[in-house]
Amino acid sequence: MSSLTDTLTLRGERGSRIGRRVQRYAPIYLSIAPFYVIFAVFGLFPILFSIYLSFQRWDGMGKMFFVGLNQYIYLVNSAQFWQSIVNTIEIWVVSTVPMLVLALIIAFLLNAPVRLRGVYRIAFFLPNITSIVAVAIIFGSLFATQFGLLNDLLGVFHVPPVAWLTTPWGIKVAIASMIIWRWAGYNSIIYLAGLQGIPAELYEVSRIDGAGPWRSFLHVTLPLLRPVVLFTVITSTIGGLQVFTEPQVLVGDTGGAGQSGMTMVLYLYQQAFGNSEFGYGAAIGWALFVIIVAFSLINWLLLRRPAAR
Amino acid sequence: MALTLAWLLISSTTAFAQPRTTITLWYWDRSIDDSLIAQVNQHVPGVNLVAEKIGGDYAAKLKTSLAGGSAVPCVVGLNSDISVYFPDAFEFDDLRRLGVGTHMPDYLRWKWRLATAPGGQVIGYPMDIGPTALFYRADLFRKAGLPTDPSQVAALTSTWQDYLQLGRRFEQREPQVHYLDDITNVFGDVMGQSPTQFMTPNGTFIGGDATVHRAFDLAAEAHQYNLSANETFSVPDWNAAVANGAIASIVGAVWEKDIIEQAAPNTSGDWRVAPAPGGAGNSGGSFLGITRYCSAPEQALRVIEYLQSPQAQLTSYRSIDLFPSAPADYASKAMNQPEPFFGGENTNRVFAAAAKQVKPAYFSPYVDRLTTIYDEELTDVETTGLSPEQAWQTTLMECRRELSH
Repeated sequence: MSSLTDTLTLRGERGSRIGRRVQRYAPIYLSIAPFYVIFAVFGLFPILFSIYLSFQRWDGMGKMFFVGLNQYIYLVNSAQFWQSIVNTIEIWVVSTVPMLVLALIIAFLLNAPVRLRGVYRIAFFLPNITSIVAVAIIFGSLFATQFGLLNDLLGVFHVPPVAWLTTPWGIKVAIASMIIWRWAGYNSIIYLAGLQGIPAELYEVSRIDGAGPWRSFLHVTLPLLRPVVLFTVITSTIGGLQVFTEPQVLVGDTGGAGQSGMTMVLYLYQQAFGNSEFGYGAAIGWALFVIIVAFSLINWLLLRRPAAR
Repeated sequence: MALTLAWLLISSTTAFAQPRTTITLWYWDRSIDDSLIAQVNQHVPGVNLVAEKIGGDYAAKLKTSLAGGSAVPCVVGLNSDISVYFPDAFEFDDLRRLGVGTHMPDYLRWKWRLATAPGGQVIGYPMDIGPTALFYRADLFRKAGLPTDPSQVAALTSTWQDYLQLGRRFEQREPQVHYLDDITNVFGDVMGQSPTQFMTPNGTFIGGDATVHRAFDLAAEAHQYNLSANETFSVPDWNAAVANGAIASIVGAVWEKDIIEQAAPNTSGDWRVAPAPGGAGNSGGSFLGITRYCSAPEQALRVIEYLQSPQAQLTSYRSIDLFPSAPADYASKAMNQPEPFFGGENTNRVFAAAAKQVKPAYFSPYVDRLTTIYDEELTDVETTGLSPEQAWQTTLMECRRELSH
C-alpha cells in the first residue's frame, strides 16, 4: 500500500495510471462523499456506539462503567418496560384500525367527482404537516377533564364528564385520536392514488355482470388495493411503534395515570434523558430494534403470501 | 513554584496591558437579568463576558458539552437538579478553594448546602430560591364561611393535619369547588420542608422512614377526604381550573405567583398568601457553577459575584421576579410592596420569613427519580383507586429496584 505516496510523487507525471485514475474518479467520490461522511458521523457511529453503550453504565458526562449484560437483565425484569410494550401495541391497534378504515372512506369520497377536490385533498393532508407539539397542546385542551371542549359537548347531551387524561384508557383514547387525526388524511391520499390506478373497465365489466356498488367494492376495489393497504399497514406499524411526542406532551414523561401513556420510545427517553441512564437507554433502544424486526418479519410474511399462492 | 511565578508575571502584565480575558457563560431564558449581563464588562476589570442564552433542553446540552470535553463554557447555570452533578463534581471547580468563603454569609445557609456535594465541594453559587407558602382564594373561603384574613387562616392551618381538616370543612360548604389542586403536590410540599430527602449523603436509602411515610399518608388522606381537583400543575386544564375558581388553595413556591397571575388574571384581588402548613419549605431555585475547563476561574468567580451580588439579585427580582437568596434584600422597599393581585397584601413578607427558616438538607443525585416513583404511585391512588398501603409498598419496592440499577 505504498500506492498513496507513489500517487503523490507520480502526480505530476501524466503517464501514471494510478494518478490518472485518482484524478478521474476523485471528483465523483468527492461528490458522493457528503452523504457518506454525514451518515458515518450521525448515523453509523451512533448506532455502533449504542451497542457499546448498552454494556456500560453512564450518566451522560462522567466516567463509563462496564456492567456486562446487567442493563439487559434489568430491562427484561422491568415491569415498566413490558407495560410500555403493551401500551404501545394497544395504542397502535386503537389508532391504526379506525384510522385506515377512515382513510379508505375519505379516499372514496375524494375519488368521486366533487367540486374543489384539490382543496379537500390539501385539507385532509394538512394535519400531517402540522407540528405535533402544537397538536398535542390543542388535544390536551380538547380532552381536558374539567374545562375540555369534549366534556362540554358531552354535557350538552347530559352525559357526565369523562376524566380523559387522568384515567388509563382515557389517555390511550386521547393519544389514539391524535394519531388518527394526524394520519387519516395522509393514508387517504395514498389510497386515492391506489384507487386511481384501478382501470375503469374493470368497474364497467362488473356493472355489466350485475354487481352493485358494494359487490364491486368487495371484489374489484379491495383485491386490487391490497398492496396499497399492506403498504399503509407497514408504514403505520413503523409509526405506531415509535409513538413518542403525543404522550410526552399530553401526559408528560411519566406517561400519566397508571403510566398508560408510557410508550416504548417514551420509556427510552425518560430513562436516558430524564434519569441520565444512557447505558440503559441504549439497551432499551436495542430491545426496540428486536421488536421492530419481529413486526417487520410478520409484515414480510403477509406480503409474501399472495406470491406463494 | 516556577509556574506560580510565571503565572503571577503573566497576570500582572496582563493587568497592566489590559487585554481582557474571555469568560463564557451559559444560562437559560429568565435565569439572569439581561441588563446585568450587559454591564459585566464595565464592572469586572479585565473580563470580556460572552453570554449565551441556551434554549431547549438545557441540562442535556450541558451534559453533552461536558461529555465531549471541548468548547465547555466557563460559567454555567445549574438548575434545581444540581445534585445530579454530584457524582461528577470533579467537572466543576470547588468554589471554596476559589475563595468564595467571604461571601458565604451573604446568602442563606441551606442554599449553600444544596450546592454541596457529599465530598464537601461547593459546585454552585446561589441564584434564586423558591420558598413555599399557602395561596388561597379569600372569596371562596368567605363563601364557605371560613376566615379570610391571612393571620387567621395561618392559625387554622399551622400543621398539615389542620390544613386538611379545614379542607373537609370547606368541602362540606362548597362541594363543587376543590380545596387543593393535586395530591402529588401535597407530597412534594411536605417533603420540601424536610431536612432529609430519601437518601443520606453516604448513599443509604431512607425513603421508607417516618418522614416520607407521613408525607405519603398526608397526600393519600387529601385524596380520601376528596379534597383534590386532580389537576397536574400548570397544564391547560389546571390553568382553566384556577381561572374558573375550581381550586380554592395551592401550596406552592414563590415563583407560582406569576403562574397563577398569568393563568387567572380575572381572579385578581381574590388571592391571599399565608405561611405554608407544616413550616417553611423550598421548591426550586438555581445556581451558577464554574467548570474545570475554565482557564480563568478566579475571574469567572468575579463575574458570578457581580451577577449574584445581593444588589444584583434585587435587580433580577424587579425585572424577572427571581426571589433572592441573599436575605439582605428582604428588607428592601422593592420587596415590600402591596400587591393588588393579592388584595394589597405584602406577600413577600410571608415568603421571606419562610426562606429564612428552611432547614438545610442533603439532596442526592437520585432525588428527582425517586420523587417520580412516589408521584406515579400517588397518581395511581388518585386515579385508579389503588389502596394507599399497597401503593406505599409498591413505591418502596420500585425505589429499591431503581437504586439497584
